[in-house]
Amino acid sequence: MATDGETISRPVASDVWDPETDDRLVCLDVHDETHDVKSFTLASPQGKRIAFKAGQYFLFEPGIDDEENGRCYSISSSPLRQNAVTVTVKRVAGGKVSNWMHDNLKPGMDLRASGPMGKFIRLEAAKYLMLSGGSGITPVMAMVREMADRAEPVDVVFLHAGRTPLDLLFREELAVLARRVKGLRLVFLPEVLTGDPAWSGLSGRISRELLSLMVPDIAARHVLCCGPAPFMAAARTICAELGVGADRYLEESFDASVVDTPAIVAEVPAAAVSYKVQFLKQAKVLDVDAGQTVLSCAKKMGVRIPSSCANGICGTCKSKLVSGLVDMKHEGGIRQREIDAGFFLPCCSRPLTDLVIDR
Amino acid sequence: MLNRFASPLSSLLDARADGHSLPAGLYTRDDVFEADLDVFFMRHWIYVGLECEVPEAGDAVVIDIGKISVILLRDDENEIRVVRNVCRHRGARILDAGPTVVSKLVCPYHQWTYELDGALSYAPHMGKDFDKSCRSLKPVQFKSIGGLIYICLADEAPKDIETLDEVMRERLAPYDLRNAKVAHQVDVIEEGNWKLTMENNRECYHCSANHPELCVSFVDLDFGFDPESLSAEDREQAEAHFAMYAERTKAWEADGFPSATVEQVRDCETNFRTQRLIIAGAGESQTEDATAASSKLLGKMTRKDLGDTHLWGHNSWNHFMGDHAVTAMVIPLSADKTLVRTKWLVHKDAVEGVDYDLHKLTHVWIETTNQDADLVARSQAGVSDPAYEPGPYSRFSERALDDFATWYIDRMRAHGY
Ligand code: FES
Ligand code: FES
Ligand SMILES: [Fe+2]
Repeated sequence: MATDGETISRPVASDVWDPETDDRLVCLDVHDETHDVKSFTLASPQGKRIAFKAGQYFLFEPGIDDEENGRCYSISSSPLRQNAVTVTVKRVAGGKVSNWMHDNLKPGMDLRASGPMGKFIRLEAAKYLMLSGGSGITPVMAMVREMADRAEPVDVVFLHAGRTPLDLLFREELAVLARRVKGLRLVFLPEVLTGDPAWSGLSGRISRELLSLMVPDIAARHVLCCGPAPFMAAARTICAELGVGADRYLEESFDASVVDTPAIVAEVPAAAVSYKVQFLKQAKVLDVDAGQTVLSCAKKMGVRIPSSCANGICGTCKSKLVSGLVDMKHEGGIRQREIDAGFFLPCCSRPLTDLVIDR
Repeated sequence: MLNRFASPLSSLLDARADGHSLPAGLYTRDDVFEADLDVFFMRHWIYVGLECEVPEAGDAVVIDIGKISVILLRDDENEIRVVRNVCRHRGARILDAGPTVVSKLVCPYHQWTYELDGALSYAPHMGKDFDKSCRSLKPVQFKSIGGLIYICLADEAPKDIETLDEVMRERLAPYDLRNAKVAHQVDVIEEGNWKLTMENNRECYHCSANHPELCVSFVDLDFGFDPESLSAEDREQAEAHFAMYAERTKAWEADGFPSATVEQVRDCETNFRTQRLIIAGAGESQTEDATAASSKLLGKMTRKDLGDTHLWGHNSWNHFMGDHAVTAMVIPLSADKTLVRTKWLVHKDAVEGVDYDLHKLTHVWIETTNQDADLVARSQAGVSDPAYEPGPYSRFSERALDDFATWYIDRMRAHGY
């Protein structure tokens, strides 16, 4: 039956998803979590096992409108279940990929995907505090599911904040897990009670008072935080004030689309905001759209910046940022010391303000 | 009997007479220079730098030895690595000579990108099926002996580095060189063959006439003297000096500081000598007045009276004192040019101008190194003159040179020359 070439037995390694060569996932299941959040379960078309760590993410490039539109989504499923990965995605006003997934991705379809990637991975610790806002719950959900699968003895305070009680994710499943996994304590924190006026728990936003009451031993915990930027900013400040050392505080921050894009930003289509980017040596000033990388824009406008990987890996494009702020999502092509010294990678940086660059 | 095919150098090696300096050709010829690089710099352990030169992840320093270039770096796990500075694509040099900070090792030519452990992680335009796995930067075997980095570029490295390791690991521990910093570095290019540089360093016959600064703290008698040539008074002094040596060494060792001489200089592959030397005068450090140059002592040192732990190798000399250390490495550049790179180390927290004065720290060895460079150039000019014939070493004060020349000839022969 088999032709000569195929009789050679395949090495075992080919049964495992290889991030270097494998690049497509096929959708197995779509599940409604809430009114605007769906979970998508995807697997390798060849049925390969996908090894990842809880907290990591995949980059999806559905190729909408023939464009290179990539978005990153944290895996919410347990890393012990390697047959498939699940990502949990919120519909976002103006969110091209998220909305495309909600509207189009059906079981049987496949799409371009690369991963797993990311360093939001929990360290060995005796106690954790997991703080999540909105769909920022996904990476920490993967961690809790992993703990349950491993039947690890844990000490976790799991705080999940959402806009209304109806927006809280995985409520039933978390309740079941908390009953079974000893040492998992849940705190749900809706901001307003719309939709469930009979909510009996706390409501509002995270605050210093709330955290010091709910988590008196916070300083002894390893904190993992994921959520919209303002949520993370608040959490970071509060935790620092309550004595959580920087080495015990980890936040996921690579891409706005894994978390709720804050409504204010979402309402303004990203393309409408643009910044002035000045290149000193080449004496040029460009308008760069928020959402566009400095490098891609520079290229289009004929400003020369040496580059290679265009992904923040190689460091070839490293440049001095004389003034301004960027949102940089690098992959190791630059060191913190270099960032502290004022350098950045234009290939993976989007402007947050007007910029002056020494190029 | 095995047939031995004489190499073009063997007649030169054969011409060396016991107790005499080397035949001229060994100091001047280009084919000897090539053979020296091959034998003594590619096949033996050589000292190339210090852990504390790359204190943080991403710190790297490039060291060039002949046609070879290596990168000493600290990776993201804070481990020291040494890799060859040759891209696995088409061979371009990856980093330029000197110190730098890197996040990845990126070849400037076509941007092949290597992790700090040497693994190739990104090779643009080579196709999805391109196998990166066997294209890591070539590792170099190295040993950190108390924070001093020795490398060996041969596959088969001499095993007797173990003795050096055993002896020095313990001796260097209190100085904690891993937590020192390079306060100053000077490169001097001597106009002479590297063996003249080493020979000059291994005797102090020339010290009293040439090194007024060094002689404040250094005792030239330590490296031998002819009792007959001393005046009665000097002889008495010398005897007192050696009685004091025996006594000090005993006291130091009793306090837990190994001090006795350890020599591995003949019939061996790895050539070294160490001893805790007495510092003259104020007894603290090799400075103009023999008092400490840094008030913050090195490592775990609590006293300034522990003398000078000296260490020779075949391409280095070092002095470890309570307050600072001086380390020199030697790289041949051509038959008649040699790089001497001297580094002054102090405790990593010592602040210039507060804990130490840079002039005081460096003065003695800057002067000494310059004076020696003159002497080496003078020797090179002389051995290149047809009138030169090898002369006799003093059996009192140049014994170490006879050892070195003998070891040199043996090692050349052992490697087929
Ligand atoms: S081009 Fe590689 S890091 Fe920017
Ligand atoms: S030679 Fe290094 S990338 Fe081509
Ligand atoms: Fe000298």
